[in-house]
Amino acid sequence: MNVSALTPPELFSRLKEAGLFLQAGPFITHMQTSIRSVAEGIGLLYADYPLAEDTGFADFHVHLIPPANLRRWFRPQVLFSFDGRIPFKPLPLDQAFPMLEWGMNWCVSGHSHQYLILHAAVMEKQGGAVIMPAPPGAGKSTLCAALINRGWRLLSDELALINKASGALVPLCRPVSLKNESIHVIRRFEPCAVLSREVRDTMKGTVAHMKPPAGSVTQSHVSARPAWIVFPKYQPGAVTRLEPQPKARAFMRMVESAFNYSQLGPQGFQMMENLVDACDCYEFTYSNLDEAVAVFADLKLPVR
Amino acid sequence: MRLNQKWQVAAENELLYHSWDDEFVVYNGATGDTHLLGLVAAQVLLKLQQAPADTVSLAEWIAPLQQIEPDDEFVFFIEQILTDFDSLGIIEHTQL
Repeated sequence: MNVSALTPPELFSRLKEAGLFLQAGPFITHMQTSIRSVAEGIGLLYADYPLAEDTGFADFHVHLIPPANLRRWFRPQVLFSFDGRIPFKPLPLDQAFPMLEWGMNWCVSGHSHQYLILHAAVMEKQGGAVIMPAPPGAGKSTLCAALINRGWRLLSDELALINKASGALVPLCRPVSLKNESIHVIRRFEPCAVLSREVRDTMKGTVAHMKPPAGSVTQSHVSARPAWIVFPKYQPGAVTRLEPQPKARAFMRMVESAFNYSQLGPQGFQMMENLVDACDCYEFTYSNLDEAVAVFADLKLPVR
Repeated sequence: MRLNQKWQVAAENELLYHSWDDEFVVYNGATGDTHLLGLVAAQVLLKLQQAPADTVSLAEWIAPLQQIEPDDEFVFFIEQILTDFDSLGIIEHTQL
């Protein structure tokens, strides 16, 4: 059964009482909240996601807690609770849904060391996956959103999970986080894209989340073979440019983007070595999404 | 620093290497750090893993591989590499 099988009142009631067991990629998250904006966000963006109620197990137990005291009326805030602990400072109540998204990313990146985890978007087409690591502001999510609206399968917008045994990329398909101008860029690029309400004045500026394509969600159990590592860089007015990147330098940039490379020790080094070996590596500068999509369409699978 | 003083890879270090073209990445298991090395620096480290060596003998061994003369400038270059490795805790002086 998917989230969409629940009516909005049923979804809200479920979240408020027993909680929702949501399957996203390899993880089950048990979510609880009585905050309506969060229920609306889940109903809109996670409609195609399967519920995992019958397992009785969750990897993460998260609870978005509304204010209980005077804060209910004066600048209301929201708390993120993880396994009964409060790891973050409260945020304004209006930011509850983005906080859920950020908190879910943190749950995975901080606790799932069965994978090598990179801060990177991952998309797949015709059997090859492109990994796009990038610092904030590089245009990673904008490019990712554009590509998945043009036939690429979304594995993740934020976290690349690499299987220790096989080296394959494990999908963690979740809504795409868009910020500031990129929200309007994607609305113009793909008017049919489903976006959440814009939330202003967050620590990242104005944010909205884009619903992933249903096909990507239904293939969340299908791993992908790494084929390309692309370091994107959005530069206003820039000519679209894809340039080969020396592999040793790509390796070092990948290390910088990893959450748990150090924790994995020599195994992390070997996994990264195998990953870079398997991929063609590029730097990609762009300003025009149509041209960017065309460049990605021309990527050829590496010959190994 | 005396040029005839010998260097060795610090005993506690476990180094893993991988190279692509003329660049190497080296993982130091003792510190968890990963370093990007050019070809000459990698040759210095690989040589020191085989046996302790001083600056001049390292320069004399590596220079032919680079098809250059082991002149003073090259010896100074090797010495700088050794200083960098020392500051990173990768190598140490041998106990004489």
